[in-house]
Amino acid sequence: MKTKKIKISDISKEFLDELSKGINALQECINNLIENKVDQSKLDEVITCEHKCDRIKERFIETLFKDKKALPFLVEDRYKIMNAIDGISDKTEGIARHMKVFPFEVFQEIREELRNLTSYSKEVVEILIDCIGLMETDFKAAYQKTLNIESLKRKARHSKYDILEIIYKKKEEALRVILTSNLTNQIFDLIGMTEEISDYLRGLILKYPNQ
Amino acid sequence: MDPFIILVIFLIMSIIIAFAIGANDETFSVVWGSKTLNMKQALIIATIFAILGAVILGAAVSKTVGQKMLYIELSTAVVLTILISTAIWLILASALSLPISTTHATIGAIIGIGMFIGGGTGVNWPIIAEMAVWWMLSPIIGFVATYIAYKIIHKYHISKLNGFEEYERSEKNYSYVLLIFICITAFSRAGNDCSNAVGIVAGVGDLQIDLLLLITGLSLACGVVILGRGVIKEVGSMTELRPSTAFAAQIPTAAILFFGTMQGIPLSGSHMLVASLIGLAVARSAPYDKKGFIKIIIIWLLTFPISAFLAIALFFPISAMFP
Repeated sequence: MKTKKIKISDISKEFLDELSKGINALQECINNLIENKVDQSKLDEVITCEHKCDRIKERFIETLFKDKKALPFLVEDRYKIMNAIDGISDKTEGIARHMKVFPFEVFQEIREELRNLTSYSKEVVEILIDCIGLMETDFKAAYQKTLNIESLKRKARHSKYDILEIIYKKKEEALRVILTSNLTNQIFDLIGMTEEISDYLRGLILKYPNQ
Repeated sequence: MDPFIILVIFLIMSIIIAFAIGANDETFSVVWGSKTLNMKQALIIATIFAILGAVILGAAVSKTVGQKMLYIELSTAVVLTILISTAIWLILASALSLPISTTHATIGAIIGIGMFIGGGTGVNWPIIAEMAVWWMLSPIIGFVATYIAYKIIHKYHISKLNGFEEYERSEKNYSYVLLIFICITAFSRAGNDCSNAVGIVAGVGDLQIDLLLLITGLSLACGVVILGRGVIKEVGSMTELRPSTAFAAQIPTAAILFFGTMQGIPLSGSHMLVASLIGLAVARSAPYDKKGFIKIIIIWLLTFPISAFLAIALFFPISAMFP
């Protein structure tokens, strides 16, 4: 039984490490795009990370459900957490693919804010990764982390609307505006998804002592 | 009648009684319900402890059915009628996956046969009334004991756990304690139950007691394996269980039952356990199988009249065989 549990936590760690690699690569890619130096191999790295995450997730689920003695509510919660963070991994691939086909340069006026938004996205995902690790051992510390995600999302929302406010005024370049706003929204959606997961984790932290 | 034939008849009846008791044994329901053991594992362990309990403890416990409760002569036919009608009702209830109290079924048969033979004065009503008070109190005690036990365990232990890993570790520890306790319960219960079955045949012929106990132990185990799983599933799935909550439901109930038995108080283990599970669900504000619970209550209420009528109906053929 012990071996199985160690395996579950090892697989989970493996997934989170891969996700961390993916989000770091994504930040690098967006910064490259901002500097007009798109690196296709780096974008491919994000996609590869997502594929690896999918395979790890399958292994995780298989191992999770093999343990017949595991507590049903823990199995269910771990499964939900894994599915949710896999959504983040999928989103990173979506953003990378969008950048692969993005045919413009980033507007000069939004470069700084886009860099901030990207930095927030990386930060929230990294906090979430820590938070998920802490769920195994320390609910209180995990709870504190979730609050950080919430405050970062607020900052990210400001950045997003600052960017949109600037680009929506550029009526003469409609397609560029649409695609840039799409990219901005996708990055913000990633942060939104992260916050939703952190809300779910907070709910679990409150639920567990009352189980 | 040829003494050998009488011996064979009594032996068969003893086997049927042991089978019936095993079939309605809900001891392993909470370990199955909390997933501490799966059904196969639960049945294997139940079988082992049924045989061990019967062989090791069975000889030490002797039982006399209906001695204090009847004012009529306790002939062989009367004792056999009581035991066989109890066994039939136990098997029927087990086939419907419903846990009933063996004591209730026995008392129902005693009242039926006592009133049939001796009329209103055939039964020792003050003793029955005293027992009835405890029957009504059994589920209440089970409910309250588990409610309090869960609240204490939750307040001083569960609510203080931190992180998934601690929950897993804690539940694992509870499952070990629960399993040890259940094995002890199954062991002592098998010894006790087998004496019911062996008691009727022991005085009839020259049979080796160890062999007799082994046969009834095997029969008890067969009852658990063949029909018992229905009762185990029915009770074990009344509310969502995990090792810690199963512990809260099982341990205080078993402790009270043990001390009650030591003091000569006739508490019903089945009633206490079912009420304990409801107490647990209420304490946790968790849902429970209301339909299943109502079904069990109805069958509890029907146990007395059905056992009584069965006893009356069976008395004719049995008294013809053993005049």
